[in-house]
Amino acid sequence: MDLRLPSIPLRQTVELVHIDLPADQAEPLLERGVLPGCKICPVRSSPSGDPIISIDGSLLALRRETAACLCVRLLSANGVSQLQEAS
Amino acid sequence: MGQEHCAPGSATALVDEQDGAPLVALIGPPNSGKTTLFNRLTGLRQKVANYPGVTVEKHVGRVQVADDGTIDLVDLPGVHGFSARSLDEKVTRDVLEGRMPGLRAPDALVLIVDSTRLESQLMLVEPVLELELPTLLVLNMWDELVERGGHVDHAALARRLGVAIARTDARGGLGVDDVRAFLAGVVRRDGAHGRAVTNVPRGTALPMMDAFAARRRRVREIVGEAGFVQPGASSSSERLDAIALHRVWGPLVFLAVVVLVFQALFAWATPLIDGVDVLISSSGEWLGSALPDTWFRSLLVDGIWAGVGSVVVFLPQILILFLFLGFLEDSGYMARAAVIADRMMYRVGLQGRAFLPLLSGYACAVPAILAARTVDDERDRLATIFVTPFMTCSARLPVYALLIAAFIPDEPLLGPFLGQRAAVLLGLYGLGIAAAVLTAFLLKRTLLKAKPSSFLMELPPYRLPSLRSIGLRLLDRSRIFLRRAGTIIFAVTVVLWTLTQFPRVDGGPPLVDDSALGRMGQVIEPAIEPLGFDWRIGVGLVTSLAAREVIVGTLGTIYGVEEATEEDLGLQDALRRDLTLGSAIGLLVFFAFALQCMSTVAVVRRETAGWKWPALQFGYMLLLAYVGAFVAVRIF
Repeated sequence: MDLRLPSIPLRQTVELVHIDLPADQAEPLLERGVLPGCKICPVRSSPSGDPIISIDGSLLALRRETAACLCVRLLSANGVSQLQEAS
Repeated sequence: MGQEHCAPGSATALVDEQDGAPLVALIGPPNSGKTTLFNRLTGLRQKVANYPGVTVEKHVGRVQVADDGTIDLVDLPGVHGFSARSLDEKVTRDVLEGRMPGLRAPDALVLIVDSTRLESQLMLVEPVLELELPTLLVLNMWDELVERGGHVDHAALARRLGVAIARTDARGGLGVDDVRAFLAGVVRRDGAHGRAVTNVPRGTALPMMDAFAARRRRVREIVGEAGFVQPGASSSSERLDAIALHRVWGPLVFLAVVVLVFQALFAWATPLIDGVDVLISSSGEWLGSALPDTWFRSLLVDGIWAGVGSVVVFLPQILILFLFLGFLEDSGYMARAAVIADRMMYRVGLQGRAFLPLLSGYACAVPAILAARTVDDERDRLATIFVTPFMTCSARLPVYALLIAAFIPDEPLLGPFLGQRAAVLLGLYGLGIAAAVLTAFLLKRTLLKAKPSSFLMELPPYRLPSLRSIGLRLLDRSRIFLRRAGTIIFAVTVVLWTLTQFPRVDGGPPLVDDSALGRMGQVIEPAIEPLGFDWRIGVGLVTSLAAREVIVGTLGTIYGVEEATEEDLGLQDALRRDLTLGSAIGLLVFFAFALQCMSTVAVVRRETAGWKWPALQFGYMLLLAYVGAFVAVRIF
């Protein structure tokens, strides 16, 4: 199970499992609520292909290098993707 | 020019000496409307924006609270936490813990959050309550929460956290009276204390990830108990983002915005600048004719009026820059622009947030370097500060304009589209950009070598900028700018004028060559001779250390005083007599590179807390300028 955020299609909400970054680099994410257990949803791609995610009603732009360090899992237990409205 | 600029340290002096009035700190995450509330309460003008982190200068204002007396309110930078990882967070933590020199420890806190994003914003509530000070929680943008179908039981939230709560729309002014009521309570010393959210004893060292996760759980529990319903997404913002962040349209919109800002700065500002110029020179002439011919008239008209006037003419341009930046920031577009610019900036070793300071650098490096505080990574911030003075600030323009007009023929280069003069000007802009890119690239591989930083940018919903707040900000900027012209530039002109007046010859002023100023120029002449510059340019280079455009006034003064004795030459003709084409281009290149601006050096020293960076920057840019000019003289 090594699903990372960049491989998630737009508008699919997933749960963050683990942040594969050293603590000092993870801290800005943590402060903005990007924590293991939170629900994140890629809503858009920037023109250069970096992801923009929705979390707790905020929009957050990341670099794809950072996104590649976010290990996520699909929401439903049987692995069927579950489409949700981005909020 | 445009050193729109706070003299280093000036912002601190406001409340230090005033004792008696309680100090209240206003804190909150970026884009929570903190500064808008601050403006509502104090009426003190300052920056307010949608762009995360522009509220970085220390702002303190006095609030009159009904009949109960006054409090001092300090507006802290927008932060997500107190880890002191960025400068903003360090400033915030120092102020809150009473460790900020010149500012006493706060007596109470106002924590403001964007209620449409309550859950993530409340991550700040726990560290704030741990300070155990009387606290008011302001649920701002309450109107927007309700409008978009969100909800929270504020009374339950108040009970759970043990704090007073005010629901506000700081832009519209709704609920601000409740904040005033709290402040009145602080004056009476009966403000409500917050209750610790957690039972974790202070200083318990949990691994960071776990500490955050635990805090997050508690916050979720609290908003759950208060029945928080997340509002629906703002559909107008989504529609705008579909364009602003579109693969094709996004970069085009970005480019259009940059072109628009430039067009405004350099085309639309011209008639205004000319207008101010006419106003100053005609009033100077009037003064000259109205006063008797004494040393005092010379000081006032030739010295002060001409010197200070040459700086004041740039006021319209500075205001136009801040008008545009204000609209871009307050509307929320600046954050999108930073996202679009990030990939490009990342390649040269910077990051998207550097876009705002670098763009501001085209007007003036001083506010640009202050704006670099929004760059949250320390190494990125230093690199941004280091390269910002390479951006062609408007102080270089009068120098460029004079030399180009004197030496470059007004002939077409590419048909009707590009004249030779415009091409040279564009080339000088390009030179600055190339130097900045190269320098950033080198820095990030040597002195500021680090693992690539992460770039995180919150994209606030688009909001209609309030004309009132932008208008207040422009007023504020004009005041700061004019104060500077009235102090630093004023002092430099008086000193310069005095140096041209001594030593006295037969009771009158000497020839410029023999004056103290002329001798200073002759001292450095050997150093600049290889560049083809004579002592007059030397004097200009020395005086332009105060501000680049001063060289124009200085040369005007030198040749002006000479004119009386020699044949009557215009400034351009006089320059053509004393400089070759090669050394004129050398001088242009010198000005493109050299850090001829003491205000910038002062602000870099303040922003980097020491002389190391400004000294390095000054030396590096001077070396580059000298070598560049040396090469240019030999090519042309």
